[in-house]
Amino acid sequence: MTTTPGTEYPFGPVPAAEAVEHFGRLIADRPMTKVTMPHGGDVWLVHRNRAAREVLSDRRFVREPFRTGERAVPFFVPFPDFLLGTLQFEDPPQHTRLRKLVQKAISPKRVREMRGSAVAFANELIDGMVARGGVRDLVREYALALPIEMLSSLLGVPSSDRETFERWSSSTLAVAGKSEEEVATDMAELAAYMTDLIARRREDPREDLLSALAHARDRDETLTDAEILPIAFILIVGGFDNTATFLSTGVLALLRSDEQRAVFLTDPDGLAATAAEEVLRHGGFATGRPAGGGGGLVPFVATEDVVVDGQLIAAGEAVSIDLVAAGHDPSVVVEPGSFDVTRTDNPHLTLSHGLHHCLGAPLARMELQVGLAELFKRLPGLKLAGEPVFNHDVLTQPMTSLPVSW
Amino acid sequence: MPKVFYTLPDGTERVVAAEPGDSVMRTAIRNGVTGILGQCGGELSCATCHVFVDERHAGEFPPVSEDEDDMLDVAATDREDTSRLSCRLVLAAGQEVHVTVPEAQL
Repeated sequence: MTTTPGTEYPFGPVPAAEAVEHFGRLIADRPMTKVTMPHGGDVWLVHRNRAAREVLSDRRFVREPFRTGERAVPFFVPFPDFLLGTLQFEDPPQHTRLRKLVQKAISPKRVREMRGSAVAFANELIDGMVARGGVRDLVREYALALPIEMLSSLLGVPSSDRETFERWSSSTLAVAGKSEEEVATDMAELAAYMTDLIARRREDPREDLLSALAHARDRDETLTDAEILPIAFILIVGGFDNTATFLSTGVLALLRSDEQRAVFLTDPDGLAATAAEEVLRHGGFATGRPAGGGGGLVPFVATEDVVVDGQLIAAGEAVSIDLVAAGHDPSVVVEPGSFDVTRTDNPHLTLSHGLHHCLGAPLARMELQVGLAELFKRLPGLKLAGEPVFNHDVLTQPMTSLPVSW
Repeated sequence: MPKVFYTLPDGTERVVAAEPGDSVMRTAIRNGVTGILGQCGGELSCATCHVFVDERHAGEFPPVSEDEDDMLDVAATDREDTSRLSCRLVLAAGQEVHVTVPEAQL
């Protein structure tokens, strides 16, 4: 394929402002680019926001061929087998059935009810940092601790087991620095623990997600342990690491922008919702780190020829969403390069859209809002006390340390 | 062309021309009406396109299904008698619909 100069894709890290301009040229040039991934072959990566939404809403794009192993997932790394058994890779009608059961337990209403306890726990964490004083690591002492507490409480892990649950769950995280064997052992122990907990909740249900899923079989739906376990796993894998990264990124972005921090501090509670969306869309760029283009969500396969925004995606081809470009599409985002915590019209796709949109989205959003608002209300003078550390060995390059003082 | 009148939580109104066959949710998304998220794209699995339909339209849309009913129960803003998920409100040519967007979807 020949490309117009300045619209190459993928492209390596450049200063964030240049990356935004690059995405603008790319989006003006074409709706999508076919890219050969390091594993699993070619995939169309859709850059334009409207075209991306179209793909995500079209049932002719499915994931079954990945789940059955008929074809490999085009991705940066060999796709982990245990994730292929999760909801992400189911299509309707099985997906619809499982998804509804889980979504009711992580519903907007349920998450609103959890908000009070998130606020209380965030403040406990801040109390701890204040009591210890000096330079604190915001990643370990705040951004990681908040989502794991919320996740344990959602799933229904008893408080006496939280410490071991946290150790197992954080095993796959970059900050843990564990060997493959150690991770495998931890995952096996976590699976055994969850299986036992599901059995206990079948006997003695509580007001939590595992109880709701275990007892779904008592109504017209039936869920086996083999179905519940992957749901618990995807929530742990997806809900913990990602939320922590968004929160650390949001804090760093605000610390890097005196102007936006001043705006946020005028009304942290009132601006938490728009600030959280802006962090999801553009937080990574606003931290001052270089940005590149070249990745996407987990792909789909076209079941027939489909034309999207003038481009033919042929039957059998894989297609994915370049969510970074879609969040910087000038036709739907005004001034995509500016970090604006008051932005109300913010149609980013960071948590995806459609059938497979982020299962934990209401929870992730709430945690991000609470995490940012409580921190800056309690510690308005929060400042960097050193340079943040990122793990470059991991695909998502998560922040592993953020030294702060106040 | 159908038309949707969205009353936002702050009391302001947005009037949007829609395409026949589009839903009130999709019309909002296409036109950047804030306060309707429609995160699942109309799959009845997110409850983030909740609206209150003006009483003058009672009977203009198909009744609430069991699945919609379940999701309305878990919406962020408490449901009322006029509550609907706007992905279920498909517009016919020339139809004009007035809806109120609730305080919160999340």
